[in-house]
Amino acid sequence: MIGARFPLPLPPRVKGRIALGFAAALAAGAGGLVLLALSGWFLTAAALAGASGAAAIAGFNYLIPSAAIRGLAVVRTAARYGERLWSHEAALHALAGLRSSLFARLAHADGRTAPDLSSGDASARLIGDIGALEDLVVRRPGIPAAFATMLIGLGAVGLAGWQAALLLAAVLAALLAALALLPPRLSAAPAAEAAAATAELRRMLVDYAAARSEIITYGLAERVTALLTTEADRLDEAQRKLARIEAASNALLILGSAIAAAATLLASTATAPLTALAVLAATASIEGIAAIARSSTREAAVAEGTQRLRVLLALPLPKADAAPKTEAPLALGLGSAEFAPGSRIALTGPSGSGKTRVIEALAGLREPAHVLTIGGKPLTQLPTAAIRSQYALAPQEPMLIAGTVADNLRLARPGIDAQAMEQALRTAQLWERIARMPQGLDTVLGEDGGVLSGGERKRLSLARALLAGRPWLLLDEPTEGLDAATEAALVAALAAWLNASGTGLLIASHRTAPLALASVQVPVGEIS
Amino acid sequence: MSDVAGAAVFAWGAASALEAKLQGCPGMAAGAALMVLGGLLRLASQYGAQVLGFDEGRALARLRRAGLFPRLLGIAGPAAPALGATATLGIDHVAAEQARAARFDPVRKAATLGPILVVLVVALQSKVAALILFLTLIPFVIGMILAGGAARQAADRQMAAITALSALYVDRIRHLPIIRHFAAEERIARQAGSAAQDVAERTIAVLRAAFLSSAVLEFFAALSVALVAVYCGFSLLGILPFTPPEHLDYRAAFFVLVLAPEFYLPMRRLAAAYHEKQLGEAAEKALADVPEPVARPAVSQRVSLRDVIVDWPGHRIGPISFELGAHGLVCVTGPTGSGKTSLLAAIAGQVEPSKGSLATLPAEAIAWAGQVPLLLPTTLEDNLRLGRPDATGEEVAEAAGKVGLDALIGRREGGLATAIDHHGAWLSGGERRRLGLARALVADRALLLADEPTADLDAASAEQIIALLVAEARQRAVIVATHDERLAALADQVIAL
Repeated sequence: MIGARFPLPLPPRVKGRIALGFAAALAAGAGGLVLLALSGWFLTAAALAGASGAAAIAGFNYLIPSAAIRGLAVVRTAARYGERLWSHEAALHALAGLRSSLFARLAHADGRTAPDLSSGDASARLIGDIGALEDLVVRRPGIPAAFATMLIGLGAVGLAGWQAALLLAAVLAALLAALALLPPRLSAAPAAEAAAATAELRRMLVDYAAARSEIITYGLAERVTALLTTEADRLDEAQRKLARIEAASNALLILGSAIAAAATLLASTATAPLTALAVLAATASIEGIAAIARSSTREAAVAEGTQRLRVLLALPLPKADAAPKTEAPLALGLGSAEFAPGSRIALTGPSGSGKTRVIEALAGLREPAHVLTIGGKPLTQLPTAAIRSQYALAPQEPMLIAGTVADNLRLARPGIDAQAMEQALRTAQLWERIARMPQGLDTVLGEDGGVLSGGERKRLSLARALLAGRPWLLLDEPTEGLDAATEAALVAALAAWLNASGTGLLIASHRTAPLALASVQVPVGEIS
Repeated sequence: MSDVAGAAVFAWGAASALEAKLQGCPGMAAGAALMVLGGLLRLASQYGAQVLGFDEGRALARLRRAGLFPRLLGIAGPAAPALGATATLGIDHVAAEQARAARFDPVRKAATLGPILVVLVVALQSKVAALILFLTLIPFVIGMILAGGAARQAADRQMAAITALSALYVDRIRHLPIIRHFAAEERIARQAGSAAQDVAERTIAVLRAAFLSSAVLEFFAALSVALVAVYCGFSLLGILPFTPPEHLDYRAAFFVLVLAPEFYLPMRRLAAAYHEKQLGEAAEKALADVPEPVARPAVSQRVSLRDVIVDWPGHRIGPISFELGAHGLVCVTGPTGSGKTSLLAAIAGQVEPSKGSLATLPAEAIAWAGQVPLLLPTTLEDNLRLGRPDATGEEVAEAAGKVGLDALIGRREGGLATAIDHHGAWLSGGERRRLGLARALVADRALLLADEPTADLDAASAEQIIALLVAEARQRAVIVATHDERLAALADQVIAL
C-alpha cells in the first residue's frame, strides 16, 4: 500500500523526526480510542453501580476513570500536535535535502552531456515534482501508527470475547482488502485519462501562449478557447469518475464502522460495561483505515513525480574536488594552427558559419564540432575542469543570474572584493552606470539582467569574464548594441587590460572596431 | 443534515442495544439493526455530499475557464503571464478553486448547521450535556480566532517564500551552463542548499503557529467528550456536586456520549479542508490579477513612435522613436531579453507604452509572423488561411512557395490538405516559423511584423527569407525583430535595443 518510496535515503535527522512523529501519532490514535472506549465503559459501569444502590456506588472507583478520561483528552491533543509538527519537520528537511542534493548533482554534471533543463518550464516542473513528495514523508509516520491503533482496537474488542475480536478482524481485513484492491483498479483508467488530458491541456496552453500575438492579430481567441474547453471537459469527465470512486471508498468506511460496531455488540460474550467499551473501540479502530485509504488514492500522483525526477537521480554524485586549480597557460590549437598563450585571435566568417560554436566548445558548454586542441591535446579528450581552467567566456547571450550585480560578478571566482569589481566594471565601461544606482554593486537585477539594457548586460557579463583570471578570454560579439563612442572606449580599455594582464584573446564579432584588438585573423571555415 | 440524522440513529441503536444488554431484556438485535441503518444513512449522505460537491466545483471551473482562456491568450508582451505561468493559471489555479468549491464550501455549510443540529438532538435527551457542548464552543471560538489569524498571516508569508525559493532554483538551473563554466557549481549549490534549508526552518516556525489552531480544535473536541462522559457517569452514579435539572437514564446517557464527538466533527472536517480553502483563495486572487487586454493605440496611416518607453518591473525598453510609411524595412536588434518581441507587440497595439506617443495601423491591417506560430488541429491549408479564411487555394500555394515550404508540401501525400496536430509533429522549428510567415503573407495586410524570421534556418533558407522580406518591404511596411546581421544590413532603419 505504501509503494512509492522517497527517492533518496533519508538522513538520520529526518528519520528521528519520523520516529517521533510515529510515536506521537500512535499516542494520538490510541489515546482517542482509549478515551472513547473508557468513556463507554465508565458510563455503563456507573449505570450498573448506580442501579445497585449506595453500597455499590461507594465501592465504585470513579476517580481514576474520570481523571483518566480528562487526562486522555489532553494527551490526545498534545500528541496530535506533536505528530503534525514532527511529520512536517521531517518532510521539510527531507525535501530541502533532496532539493539541494539533486541540484548539486545537476550542477556538477558534465555540461556537455547533462540533461537540458534550460527552459524555465522544465526546471519549474522539476521543482513542483519535488514539492509533490512532501505528502509522501508527511504521511509516513501516520500509516504504521494507524495499523498499530487498529491492533490496539482489536485488543480492546478482545475484552468482549474472542468472537467479537475475530469478527472485527474480519471486517477490518475485508475493508483493507477492498480499499487496497478496488480503488486502484477502478481508478487506473480514469487516472491515466486525467493525467493525459492535463498534459495535453498544459501543452496546448503553452503552445497557444507562445502564439498570443498571432491569436490577437488574427482574432482567433474564440476558436482556440473552444479547443481548450473540449480538452478541459475531457479532464473534468475523468475527474468526475475519480471523485465518485473516492466518495464510494469513504462511504464504504462509514458503513464498515457501523457494521463493525453492531457485530461487536452482537458477538460480545462479556458484561455490558466491557461490551460498551468494545463497541466504541471498534468504531474508533475503523478511523485508522481512513488514513491508509487516503494515502492509497494519492499514490499515483507521487509515483508520477518520482518518475520525472529519475533524470536527475541517474546523475552521479558530485566529486569532492571539482573546482579547477589554477593551471599554467596552455596553447590553443585551431585546426592545424597553434597559438601560444597571450595570442590575440579574431575568428572570422559569415553569420551562421560556426564562430559561436567554436567559442562555446572552448568554454566547455558544448561538444566541439571543429578540430580544437588545448596544449596539443584534442578538446574531446580533456575533462571539463581542464578546459575551464583556461578560458573565461563573455557569451553572446549575457547569461546573468537573478541576484545583485555583485552576485553576478562573484560567480567568476571565489573571493572577489569590491575593489576588483570596480576595476573590472571600469574596464567594461559600466562602472559609472552601476555607481549611479543607489544600491551600487548591491543593486538587485531581475531575471536575465532585468533593469539593465541589452548593451549593459553584455558589459556586465564581460566584466565577469575579466574577473575570472583565466589565461584566455573568449568574447562573442562583445560590443553588440553599443553606440560608437562607448564601443571605442571599451575597445581601448580592453586593449590596455589585455596588455597589462597578458591574457590571450579569442574574439568573434561582425563589427570592425573590436576586431582591432586581435593581431591575427582565423577564418572559421579553415578550422576542420 | 442527514449525516447528523444517521449519527443519531446509530447512537440511539447502540444505546438501546446496550441498555437491553445491561438489563438483560431483548432488543439487542433491533438496536444493532438501527446501528447499521444509521450507517447506511450516513453513507448515503456523505456519498451524496461528495458527488454534489464535485459537480459544484466542476460548474465553477467551467465558468472560470470560459472567462479565463480568452483573457490569458488575449494579452501580449511583458504584462502577459509567461508560458509556464499561463499553464499554471489555466490548469492548476483553476483546479485549486475547483477543489475549494468541491471540498471546502460544502463542509463550511455543514460546519455551521451540523453542531447546532447535534446540540438540539442531544438536548432532547440531556439539556446539561447540550449545555456542556455549547459552553466548550465559546473558548474554542476565541482560541480559533487568536490562533487562526496568526496562522493565516504566517501562511501567506510562507507561500511567498516558497515561490521565491522555486524561482531561485529555476533561475540557477537555467544558468547552469555559465555557472559550470566559471566552476562555481560548488558555491552556487551550497547557496541553493542553504536557501532551501532556510526556507524549511522558517516554514517549521510558521507551522508551529498554524498547528496551534488545530490543536485548539482537537483539545475542545476531546474535552467536550470527556466532560460529557464524566457528567453522564456522575449523574448515573448520583454523585454530582450539584442537583441536575434532569433525570438521566442509561440509554439517554450513552446516546449523548456517542453523539458528543459529532459536535466537533464538522469543524474538524472544516479544518482538514482548510488547506484547500487557502490554496483556492490564493488561486482566485492570482486569477483575478490576470490583466485585461489593453486599449488599442491611436490609429494612423503610418507607424509612428515618438520617445516610446515600455517598462515593467525590472525591465525597460526605449526611449524609441521612428516612423515607417507605406513601405520599407525596419529591423529591431538586441540580445535576448532586451524586449524586441515586446516592442513588436507594442507596434501591433497589443502592449501599452508607459511613456511617449505611439500611432499604428488598425488591427485589421496588421499581420504577425511569430517565433512559434500557432498550429490548429486542421489541415495545413486551413492553418495557412487563419489570417484570411477566404484566400484562394492558389494564393495559399503561392505563399507557401515563397517561404520555401513547397518542397515539404510536395513530399506529403495529402499536399496542402495534410492534417496537422496541435504539436505540428512532422514540422521542424524552422518549418513552423516559415509556416507563420506564409500565413502572414496570405493575410495580405499593409503592415507585416516578423519575429526572428531567420532563426533556426540553414544559410540558404535564411537567404531566401531575407530576399523575400526585402521584396515585401517594397510593397508594404515590414518590421522585423532579428539577430541576423545580414538582414539588419539590408534594413532601411535599424533600431538597437
